[in-house]
Amino acid sequence: MIRATTGGVLKSYRSNLMHSFIAQNKARTTVLTQRNFNSYAEDPAAASRAFRLHKSRMAVESQYKICNSAISKYQSAFTCLDAIDKLIDTKNGTEMSTLKDTTLQMLNDPKGEARTQLTKALDQLSETIVQNMNQKYGDNFIFAGADGHNVPFEVKDNKLYYRGVPVDASEPKLLQDGGVPVTLSDGSYVLASAKTVEELPALETNGATPPVPFTAAATANGKQFYVKQGATPIAAAPPDPENYTEVNRSDGKQLWYKTTDLVDKSNYDSTMGSVLKKADGTPEVVSVDGKNYYVTNAGDATMTVSSYEKACQDADKLKYLVNEKQFVDIGLGFQENENGQLIESSGFDAALNGLTFLGYGMDEDGDPRNIYSLVQKLREIADGVPEEGLWDTPTHEEFRGLVLKLESASSEFKTQFTNHTASTTKLENNSSLLKENFYTLQEQYSDLESVDMVDAITSFLYAEYAYNAALKVGNSVLSQSLMDYLN
Amino acid sequence: MGTLGTFDSFTTARLGIYAAQHGLRVTGNNISNISTSGYTRQRIDQVSLRTGGADMYRSQLDNHVGNGALVTGINQIRDPYLDIRYRNTSSDVGYYDTMVDGLKQIASILDEVGKGSDDKQDGILYAQLQDLAECLRGLSENANKDNDTLARKSAETLCSLFNTYANKLETVRQNTEAAFKKDITSVNEILTNIRNLNEEIRRSEIHGDNALEMRDERNRQIDALSEYMHIDVVYSMEDIGAGQQVEKLTITLANDNPDSDVTTDSSMLIDGIYGSQISMQIPKANPDYDDTKPIGPDNLPFWNDKENQAVEKAGDATMVDSPNYDITISKLYDSKGRQWTNPVTTWHEVEGTKVDANAIFRFQLNPATVPWSAGDAAATPPVPADTFEVAGTVYTIGTDISAADANNPEKLAAFISQKLQAAGNADYDISSKGNYIMFTAKGKGEVGSATGPAAQPALTVTDGGGKLSVGPISTVNPGFTTEAPGQNKTEVDPDAATKTETSYMQIKGKWYEVTTVTQYSKEVHLDDNDLYGSLQATRELLTESGEFATQDTVDNIDESAATKRGIPYYQKSLDLLALQFATQYNKLNQGFMINQNGNYIDPNGKEIMLQGSDGVDAPISKTNGLTPAQRENLINNGYTLKDADGNVVLDDKGDPVIDMDRVLTEKGAMVPEGTGLLFTDRNDRDTIEGSITAANISISAGWSHGSIKIIPTFVQLFSEDGKPLPNTTQNENVNHMVTMVEKSLVYDPKDLIPDAVGSKLFEGSFNDMFSNMMAVEGDDERTKNIKLNSHYGSLVELDSSRDGVSGVDLNDEAMNMMQYQKAYSAACRLMTAVDEALDRLINNTGIAGR
Repeated sequence: MIRATTGGVLKSYRSNLMHSFIAQNKARTTVLTQRNFNSYAEDPAAASRAFRLHKSRMAVESQYKICNSAISKYQSAFTCLDAIDKLIDTKNGTEMSTLKDTTLQMLNDPKGEARTQLTKALDQLSETIVQNMNQKYGDNFIFAGADGHNVPFEVKDNKLYYRGVPVDASEPKLLQDGGVPVTLSDGSYVLASAKTVEELPALETNGATPPVPFTAAATANGKQFYVKQGATPIAAAPPDPENYTEVNRSDGKQLWYKTTDLVDKSNYDSTMGSVLKKADGTPEVVSVDGKNYYVTNAGDATMTVSSYEKACQDADKLKYLVNEKQFVDIGLGFQENENGQLIESSGFDAALNGLTFLGYGMDEDGDPRNIYSLVQKLREIADGVPEEGLWDTPTHEEFRGLVLKLESASSEFKTQFTNHTASTTKLENNSSLLKENFYTLQEQYSDLESVDMVDAITSFLYAEYAYNAALKVGNSVLSQSLMDYLN
Repeated sequence: MGTLGTFDSFTTARLGIYAAQHGLRVTGNNISNISTSGYTRQRIDQVSLRTGGADMYRSQLDNHVGNGALVTGINQIRDPYLDIRYRNTSSDVGYYDTMVDGLKQIASILDEVGKGSDDKQDGILYAQLQDLAECLRGLSENANKDNDTLARKSAETLCSLFNTYANKLETVRQNTEAAFKKDITSVNEILTNIRNLNEEIRRSEIHGDNALEMRDERNRQIDALSEYMHIDVVYSMEDIGAGQQVEKLTITLANDNPDSDVTTDSSMLIDGIYGSQISMQIPKANPDYDDTKPIGPDNLPFWNDKENQAVEKAGDATMVDSPNYDITISKLYDSKGRQWTNPVTTWHEVEGTKVDANAIFRFQLNPATVPWSAGDAAATPPVPADTFEVAGTVYTIGTDISAADANNPEKLAAFISQKLQAAGNADYDISSKGNYIMFTAKGKGEVGSATGPAAQPALTVTDGGGKLSVGPISTVNPGFTTEAPGQNKTEVDPDAATKTETSYMQIKGKWYEVTTVTQYSKEVHLDDNDLYGSLQATRELLTESGEFATQDTVDNIDESAATKRGIPYYQKSLDLLALQFATQYNKLNQGFMINQNGNYIDPNGKEIMLQGSDGVDAPISKTNGLTPAQRENLINNGYTLKDADGNVVLDDKGDPVIDMDRVLTEKGAMVPEGTGLLFTDRNDRDTIEGSITAANISISAGWSHGSIKIIPTFVQLFSEDGKPLPNTTQNENVNHMVTMVEKSLVYDPKDLIPDAVGSKLFEGSFNDMFSNMMAVEGDDERTKNIKLNSHYGSLVELDSSRDGVSGVDLNDEAMNMMQYQKAYSAACRLMTAVDEALDRLINNTGIAGR
């Protein structure tokens, strides 16, 4: 600068003073707001980072709430399950009997009176189990899977239903030929459990049905026989009489038939009497692996198509329900794949299905897997024994077998209970992790946003000092000039 | 030593006093104006006076002494280069200051740093998005009415925040527009002031006053103008006639448009006493005019008047604000309303058009030798022996013609005419003119032509010792003449604002075309980038929409429009965020029911079957998508999505996109109860009539009243028998909504502006998009603030430098004051000394011995 004029110096001073004042004001704002930056423009990168951390913290905060809510639900469930567990086979220190005790007592104490009392106890225990499984947490039923607004378990006609589906539903096993279900003439399916009898040979009818029985002569000891169709008799004594039987036919003829061509009438009639018949009275014949069989009408041998389909559908429903999931976001990532489906590992399945604990469906023997149903079956068996009578062996064996299955179901319950406990622990761990994460995030954005007060105050004092100095300089800028020295 | 005047020294002393007094006055004026804004320090122009001419009896040994000091003027000390730099930087500061100010206003709305609840400061809209996520998580975890209400209320609050932010941005835009109009008024005031000052200064200069104070004011006005717009200031001399010149100030725009083809960026604002005004008003266009069709009853002309009737002339149209805030510079007028013109005249020689005329030849009777000159008393009388020949016959003076007649050119001409007539030669009329015998052809045309004389006339004089002589024949008219090659004409070019006047002048037989092109000043519609300074910054704040700029804008208005971001960019970004948000959640809350297998079902719970191109029926699976055969069948039957132009929409792989909504609707797929739009553009409707923006986004009336709800699940279990298995707390769709909060989405400007030039504004979650908006603003503000500080620093420095040259300094002035005071005292002392000397000479000299 060639000349430093009064005006120029003043302008320069004003500008610099303003800078000092701005710097001081900025330092003061920093101290007052306790923030490193007060707008994006001051530090866009830090502001962007800080907002991401804020967002994460807000998400963690809400996930923490969800996680804790799930923990509470799981803890309520734990209480219910623990109560059931005690009802099943653990000495609970109370007067209350347990399932295990009761059933063992019944096995070992087959007297009628006691059995009646124990049966009632069984009934009560099973009802208590169901009541426990119908507990609510808040508005929702705990063990209702994804149908928390409806009571999950319901007993109708001594049968247990889960969300309207019989818990014992299973796909019936059908008698099959080459993988294809065998059907009767009315389209009904034949159950695999049905008793079958190999089809008897066709008999010589002599124009009448059933075939006219032949009365054996000497060798039959007065028994009556039917002759297989196509059997050829011989009139004269055969050269090998050990293979032939001489019979007196009902038409009065005496002829020799091969022994293998003769059928014992009483056996034949007995068999034909127990097999299923068509409307025309002829027996239903089914073919399996190239052989023809009769189906006896003992027990539930057949099933209509609609019943079968209903049973299958119920079984499908149970399979679906037991796997039904209700995911919630507890901070595991909660993300969807490209097809818009939730990645299951990123969410927490908060659905508790009662079936998982009590069991469902039928086993290989056609017995229920569900604890309640088993108990009910035990009760039915026990009820079936006359009050004053004793166990007969098959009934006792059947009862014993079911008790063992009940133990197995109880064991499965315990496994699931343990799993549940593990899940609760997992939730609790997650909750702790979220809490830690929460504080870490808070710390991280605080590091970005919050000022170091020592630095801030030092900066402010320095700025204040600079401003005061600038003011002082201003005094001298305005004070002196040659004019002041003129006389 | 030359001659000394007795009282010369008094004059010297007097001039010294005058000069010192002037100096003191100027110093006083400087001190008085030390705080006057824009004042330029003055100083006197002082020269040493030397009287001219030499003494008559001047000795070579003589020494000439000056006659004192003369103040020839008062001038200002100013550095024009510093002015240029100051004004250039002032434009920079104006531009960035306005930009930063505008961005700060945007930041005051969008920038949520430090906002939100006191303890958390999570932002406001930013935090509300997460609040909605939290409510949705709650609904996912426990689907009850309370959580549903909480989610709805959170969404309502979010919509309200969108509305508030959009309204605030619109207010900023409106305020900026008002400021822009005010700036235009200010600029016009400045332009008027400068023009008027130019006129005053010019008038003063003509009268010999250099009008320094007015120049200061003018400089101040120019400085102020330079903040609004980058200008070039040129001083030149203007000839005002009588050899006098005055200074002329011209201000033009400073050629800032990066497009070298554009010339409007150097348009004239001020030219001496002529000045323009700027405006953002344009004639109202007729919206129905189709430039591809001729004007007619079906296609009315370009403009609309105030009654919205189509008019052909822009001048008849009503004026409206330019939608792009384009600036128009008016014609230049002086203070009396006279328009600026600049006539330029050029001359060039042209060929005339030939026209037949009567050929004229003449013979000059030699005046020096003509003996029969009546007026020449001393002339020798003609000698009768002189002869002359006409048409082959020789005539003798004194014999065939009297000497007196021969002495008379008129009579001689008549004689010759008579003789020629007698000889049958009728080509010429003969007459006299002064000392000339004139031969004028009777027919028009050149000699030898069809209509002209057969030959040139011949007149032979035989000097028989006399003095009759005749000069050589000379051609007065060769038998033709020339006319102007064209008609005078005047042409007006309204586009170039010129009037061209063409005329022809014949000077010394040559024709000249005289062309005067008068350039009139005209309205200039500035290009988008012609301006720079605060005015342009305000324009950019008002118009620039960055990636939302249309291709048409990039092609025809500003090729870098896609990288400039003003208020519209942030408005549209917020609109796009609101639109994306509403679209995604509306999409999630609409759809058709599926069963446990993931297949679409009808209201009876039966799976909907769709035939493939192979003729095989199969369920329509949502989970697994269509089978290839089903897809092919649908494409063959036209079930594809089409864009507005009717073209099939293709997916990322280039395959046609199936219109599944149409397929499922036609197939009668089941729609869950409560399905509908969650967000609309009006809170009293369940449909979107226009387009969702941040200003109008609201939750639908149905959601508000309960007829529409958040659909928790689109799965209906085992309903083939009409008795679906209830799943009252299933939440898969709510989970979609939860994940949507964090889902990375592409924000495509074309979703908002179909012909936008940008295709991907940002990719990320809703929060990220909003954060990005804040970051873009923050980055822009920060960058521009750095530049502002830099330019402002330069401006202060330049101002100080300018002040260093032009400013008043008290030390300087104190020195001057002392100097002039001393000079004044010294001059007074000189006068006293001279007075004493003369007193000695007059009163006390020659009295010795008395």
